[in-house]
Amino acid sequence: MEKQKLESMLIDYIDNRLNTVDKRVVEQELVNNAESYKLYEELKEVMHLMDRSARIEPSAKLRAGFDDLLKEEMTSARQTKTVFFQPALYRVAAAVALLILGGGIGFWISHQREERQLAERERLEALEKQMQITQQMMAMLQNGQSASQRIQGVNVAVSMGKADDEIVNALVKTMNEDPNSNVRLAALDALSKFSDDAAVRKALVTSLQKQKDPVVQISLIQLLVKMKEKSVVNDLRKIVDDEKTMQAVKDEAYSGILRLS
Amino acid sequence: MTDELIMEAVKRGELQQATLLFERYHKRIFNFLARMTMDRALAEDLTQNVFLRIIKYRTSYREGNKFQSWIYQVARNVFSDHYQANKNKFSDFVDVEKISDHMADLEEHEAQDEKEKLLHQSMARLSEEQRELLVLTRFQQMKYEEVAAIMDTTVANIKVKVHRAILKLREYYFEMEKI
Repeated sequence: MEKQKLESMLIDYIDNRLNTVDKRVVEQELVNNAESYKLYEELKEVMHLMDRSARIEPSAKLRAGFDDLLKEEMTSARQTKTVFFQPALYRVAAAVALLILGGGIGFWISHQREERQLAERERLEALEKQMQITQQMMAMLQNGQSASQRIQGVNVAVSMGKADDEIVNALVKTMNEDPNSNVRLAALDALSKFSDDAAVRKALVTSLQKQKDPVVQISLIQLLVKMKEKSVVNDLRKIVDDEKTMQAVKDEAYSGILRLS
Repeated sequence: MTDELIMEAVKRGELQQATLLFERYHKRIFNFLARMTMDRALAEDLTQNVFLRIIKYRTSYREGNKFQSWIYQVARNVFSDHYQANKNKFSDFVDVEKISDHMADLEEHEAQDEKEKLLHQSMARLSEEQRELLVLTRFQQMKYEEVAAIMDTTVANIKVKVHRAILKLREYYFEMEKI
């Protein structure tokens, strides 16, 4: 018989795990083979030694140690109980609540971001629109083929509510240089709307020295008087003293000097 | 009440119930560890460690699993953690000649005849796995099925390995007897 198989069968034989047939085979082998019998005896000795080996008794220290550790664990479990939700249902409820809260916060943050993006987009659109209007207005003021187109440009400027440097410069230029007196008047009228602006004020004062159109001159004097712009008194005197000045303008200038002094 | 029902109660927080499991298992676990370490004091410390882990990690016990398999798995982990922490394997530092002295203390009620001495010395020369298999199947008289469940392998595999371990033990035993 193969050695390995025999060894295994001998162990099972000692443990009484063999069926009748295999048992016979082993017994036959033991009768016929002295070496196998020796092996059997040796295996039986170590196996029985192990099986008979007495149970070892632990000392009382082991039990005392266990009692201490259990007490300690029970105390710490009671403490953690106050922190954690003990029944599984509460833990699940807490988890669900956290999930909902987390989802809510996430939704709120993304909503806020969307709103911010929307506001930003609206602001940019408004700015773009204003720039387009400004460009249109400038184009109308500077290149308008007819006086009415240029007046329309002036009106657009007025409708914008707030004047930036570019618009003021364009209006001042129109007021001083436009070939049509109606357009010049309209520009002056537009500038009067922004007379609180320091730059506009300065532009109007400077314009008084250059202005040659009597209609515009009169309107400008009236506006400056209304604005109580006292710095123009000297300029008004020059207009009064200038021989070339039309009488109507002189009268208006004189009247202005009286009201501003 | 079954071990499993008791452990489920412990898992739910009824820690006092762990006393019952201690009553049922502490001697077996202590014997297993004493045979593995061949050091009584160390075996007591490690046994305490096993029960500490059982209580501390009670929530990791999976309901429906056999408690005996679980506690032995914990004991095996405690044993191997101990030797890994000491960066030593049992066989690297155990002086085979001194085993009988350790065991004299260990087995105060046993007759310390020559055969017993030889047995323990031979056991100490086995690999850790072989020694463990013999402690479980012979000293603790566990069925191959139970050991297979603890070691997470097949019964056939356990049987082959146990047979090899017995043959190796016999070899060492009679080798030493001749000296």
